[in-house]
Amino acid sequence: MSLTELFPAIKMLPRADKLRLMQFLVIDLAQEEGVPLLTADAEYPIWTPLQAFEAADTLLQMLKTHEVEK
Amino acid sequence: MTTPVRFTYGDTDASRRGKNLLAHLSITLHHGTHAVTVPGLLDTGSTVNVLPYNVGVQLGMVWDQQPTRVHLTGNLARLPARGVIITGQVALFPLVELAFAWTQSTEVPVILGQVNFFMEFDVCFFGSQAAFEINPKHKAN
Repeated sequence: MSLTELFPAIKMLPRADKLRLMQFLVIDLAQEEGVPLLTADAEYPIWTPLQAFEAADTLLQMLKTHEVEK
Repeated sequence: MTTPVRFTYGDTDASRRGKNLLAHLSITLHHGTHAVTVPGLLDTGSTVNVLPYNVGVQLGMVWDQQPTRVHLTGNLARLPARGVIITGQVALFPLVELAFAWTQSTEVPVILGQVNFFMEFDVCFFGSQAAFEINPKHKAN
């Protein structure tokens, strides 16, 4: 089946299926290129503790106390 | 004033050599009679320094003897952490005292963050050259 033959069928698809088709094509192309993809059921570690202000305050207080005790 | 020391970014994944360069700094940590040299990730987004569990053990620290609880964020929030103070040395610069959140995670790298690594050292990144320069903070007389 050629792309020209597919277009009318694609055009008839509901919006949600068009989005699924786009997603399918993006994933398929990425896999062909060997691009690693994120998947919904996997956990990806981001170790950076962003905005850990409470931890920062605790550590700063420890440093102050340590400085006084020296 | 001291002269800055320049380092190049390093690979973190041998299987992706040259594709995953990060600003890793070799730092020697001292605690009591123990010392260990580790690659520390310069992480300007991290609010605090983070020490993985195994490195703390290598430094002779005992978890139950660390009374100060620290609450981390992100992936590390689900694990307990303790506050510890360790002496660190970078290149031939003078020793500095660094406060770390010692996490029970063994997966995390040594993270050098805002409190208090970037309070002790001035770091200039040259991202296009995959390099950075580091200098101890200037102490006013």
